[in-house]
Amino acid sequence: MNTSTVQIILTIIHLLFFIYAFLAIASYVILAIISAIETKQYMKKNSFVNYKEILSSTISPSISIIAPAYNESLNIIENVRSLLSSHYVNYDVIIVNDGSKDDSLEKLIAAYDLVKVNFLINQQIHTKPIRAGVFKSTNPAFEKLTVVDKENGGKADALNMGLNISNNQYVACIDVDCLLLENALQKMVKPFLEVTEEKIIATGGVIRIANSCVIKNGKLLDVNFPKKWIEKAQILEYLRAFLLGRMAWSRLNGLLVISGAFGLFDKKIAIEVGGYDTNTVGEDMEIIVRMRRHMEEINQKYRVAYIPDPLCWTEAPDNYKTFISQRNRWTRGTIETLRKHRKIGFNPKYRSLGMLSYPYWLFFERLAPVIEVIGIVYFAILIALNEVRWDYAIAFIVLAYFFTVLFSVVAIFSEELTYHQYKKKGTGFKLLQISMLEPFVLHPFILYAAIRGNIDYYFNKKKKWGEMTRKGMAKSETN
Amino acid sequence: MKSYQYIIDYFENAPTIIQLVWVTIFIFFVAVLILTIQLKFLRSRLRKNEKTVAEYRKEYESDLITYLYAGNEEEEISAEQQIIIDKLRSCTSDDFKRRIIVSTLLRLRNDISGEMAEAIQKLYFQTRLISYALPRLKSKKWYIVAKGIKELKQFQVKEVHDEIVIHVNHHKREVRNESHLYLVSLFNFEGLKFLDDLQTSLSEWDQIQLLEVLQKFDDQEIPDINPWLKSENDSVVAFALKLAKIYNQFEVKDALIGLLSHHQKKIRVDAIHVLSHLHVVEAKDILKNNFDQLSEDEQIEFFKLLENLCETSDEPFLLAHTTHQNFEIKLSALKIIKTLAVEKFKSLKYFSTDADYVKIYEFLEYK
Amino acid sequence: MSDAKKIVLAEDNSTLSLLLKFRLEKEGYKLLIAADGKEAIELIEQHNPELILTDIMMPFISGLEVISHVRNKLNLQTPIIVFSAAGQEEMVLKAFNLGANDFMGKPFSPNELVIRVKRLLC
Repeated sequence: MNTSTVQIILTIIHLLFFIYAFLAIASYVILAIISAIETKQYMKKNSFVNYKEILSSTISPSISIIAPAYNESLNIIENVRSLLSSHYVNYDVIIVNDGSKDDSLEKLIAAYDLVKVNFLINQQIHTKPIRAGVFKSTNPAFEKLTVVDKENGGKADALNMGLNISNNQYVACIDVDCLLLENALQKMVKPFLEVTEEKIIATGGVIRIANSCVIKNGKLLDVNFPKKWIEKAQILEYLRAFLLGRMAWSRLNGLLVISGAFGLFDKKIAIEVGGYDTNTVGEDMEIIVRMRRHMEEINQKYRVAYIPDPLCWTEAPDNYKTFISQRNRWTRGTIETLRKHRKIGFNPKYRSLGMLSYPYWLFFERLAPVIEVIGIVYFAILIALNEVRWDYAIAFIVLAYFFTVLFSVVAIFSEELTYHQYKKKGTGFKLLQISMLEPFVLHPFILYAAIRGNIDYYFNKKKKWGEMTRKGMAKSETN
Repeated sequence: MKSYQYIIDYFENAPTIIQLVWVTIFIFFVAVLILTIQLKFLRSRLRKNEKTVAEYRKEYESDLITYLYAGNEEEEISAEQQIIIDKLRSCTSDDFKRRIIVSTLLRLRNDISGEMAEAIQKLYFQTRLISYALPRLKSKKWYIVAKGIKELKQFQVKEVHDEIVIHVNHHKREVRNESHLYLVSLFNFEGLKFLDDLQTSLSEWDQIQLLEVLQKFDDQEIPDINPWLKSENDSVVAFALKLAKIYNQFEVKDALIGLLSHHQKKIRVDAIHVLSHLHVVEAKDILKNNFDQLSEDEQIEFFKLLENLCETSDEPFLLAHTTHQNFEIKLSALKIIKTLAVEKFKSLKYFSTDADYVKIYEFLEYK
Repeated sequence: MSDAKKIVLAEDNSTLSLLLKFRLEKEGYKLLIAADGKEAIELIEQHNPELILTDIMMPFISGLEVISHVRNKLNLQTPIIVFSAAGQEEMVLKAFNLGANDFMGKPFSPNELVIRVKRLLC
């Protein structure tokens, strides 16, 4: 190869990097603008709603909360009590004990006066069999509670069991350790009831980080800003993802994922598509993509709705080890889902799902860490060859940094204008501080975890399958 | 000074692209700076607002309570009350204060009834708060109109009926919804007249709200719902079906039977449900003879009706459907046979070897 | 005034609380006001009142939990009147099951409340 060919190749590479970066930044800016419009409208509309009426109405639609539990013995009694105290008339709670090896079931039986009942299950989705049976309480105060004890099959399998058991119109699939605010169900069910021109297939909720918050008797008493960098940075990350990212995607009706930790589904459609996929670690994303695909294929107008109110609070990882394994799993979940449904990618038959949502996820979620690493490696080679144009390099790095900070600050601003959850004096400063530091204290770990996820997915199949049965389930609030 | 000059020189001699990048960085930097400062102000304003609101609220609360207890038998308005009226009236020109006064009045108004509730209403007029709500109905912004209607509804101002009724088909959901609620909250079943010429769709959410309001009235004398059951507007039909069920409108059974051939499946299913609730026996034979033409949802709903209305003569029909491919129908059929004829049920133990059938049979056997 | 009968009122609508406080103090009772269930329980434990008025829906700790705490944890037979909004029939039944003595549906007339309070306290 002569020098001019190398030159041309290098120029092309540079150009590709440049185009990618430009598109990424442009998409962020556009999403932020759309989310601002949508947020403003949502707040205006929401200021009229009287949730009291729907909550007390006996003709409000029925909802089942399905909460899979695997070795949750430590907090299960408290968590169930919190789920039972929702302010909604027509709902029940189904706890699926997914083959726990601890004393979860014994504890539940003792605390809630449970007895085994003769229960007929219409097994519309195949699941692992029942182990000890189906239990109901003899105490009328807990009549809303059903506990199912089944053999271990992983989170998706447990949710499927819940889908089979529920007799209600909607199902709220949540992580058992989530704290739901009392009015969460009312707010989440609203889109299903108010939209007349499209079919709402699911509503996604926001996940807020409960680390350092005061929680007593299953109720959130005080919101605090945690102390560790990793916790603070995740709060910022969630604000960005939920208030800017998802808000905009919901406006575009392009949401590809709703948090596994809290989402409400139309049960009939969820069963029609076959329930959760037990062969992926990203079952929360996969089911939404599949439901959307199904709606596109039967050619019915539909929407995935989104409620930005802080309704569901959960503990986020507070150490890098757990954090990395969580993100590793998310990465594999995304890859699996996108691969499984690659048919919809760039397929005009699937309209915006195939032409907008899918490509966005592929390029800016799935491939972003890979491209970033390629960039870093390329940069390292240039340094080694002493070929770096430092003036370019520095200018672009500084640009990227300031853009990230600006984006974070906009997210904080949006939080203050809407929900203003961190009211305490001094927290504003801490939020700003973490938005300056986040690129250093969190981003490298996210990148590392994503790369590990890619490596595990392609070269470590054993781990991919092994983890499912061994770990059973883990928290899943995919971002 | 020299390094400063160096930067300028560097910038001027840099390629355009680099210049562009640095300009962008500078813009971002300034934006971050501005937002940071604004954030600081915003946060302290929010904190302060919360405190001021609480203070004002406390003040107006005690004014309100004093007003309510300062009345006497002799005068229309006592001297003490007049002082409070004047004070509140002077505050109403301030948007911020007015909002707090209104919300304070409403908070109490919503929770109490009787003389005191009427006194609060009177105060709403005396302080001329109403003169701020009325112009809102004519605003160009939809949410201002909606808010105005809501306030007038909460203070039960019946006089603006004509200005509000024109909004029942407003293009914004929130505005129409508020106007419907206004009509029903203040005029009870009489207010439901808007359904006659409703062109827009009444969502489930709207319907639930209206029914909740209606149930609060003591007078439950419901008008003729026949016209609504025959409405061109499908959502009005759906709503009328709910009314028929809640208020046990047996007299509209002919219209209900007519709905069994409605073009919308959801309405046909709901009609079966209401007919079952009202125990309309005629519906049974119509549906039974037509069973194979029904959609699965209707078939399931029909079996629920049978659970209410079946007779021994239905046995052959039930028997034929114990092997229906749908789980719920199978269950329903077997369940009814069990209650209708236990001996027959016992004889069916080995009727089918289908796994679901066996499961259902065993379940019912134990029960 | 030391022999005035004490009433704990748990209600998150502060305006209503204030109105009832005035009204009942005119009748010669001593009112202790709580804004939520948590405060109510603290006041009940501290003052051992003769009567408890509580709303059902309150932030943090609901009226039902207050009743349950009084009856089961403190083992007190203090009369309890609950307030409920329309449509909370199910909650009212639960309240009675837990040991409430009377209930008033919102919106209610303060005068009627006074009559019921007197009846329970005579």
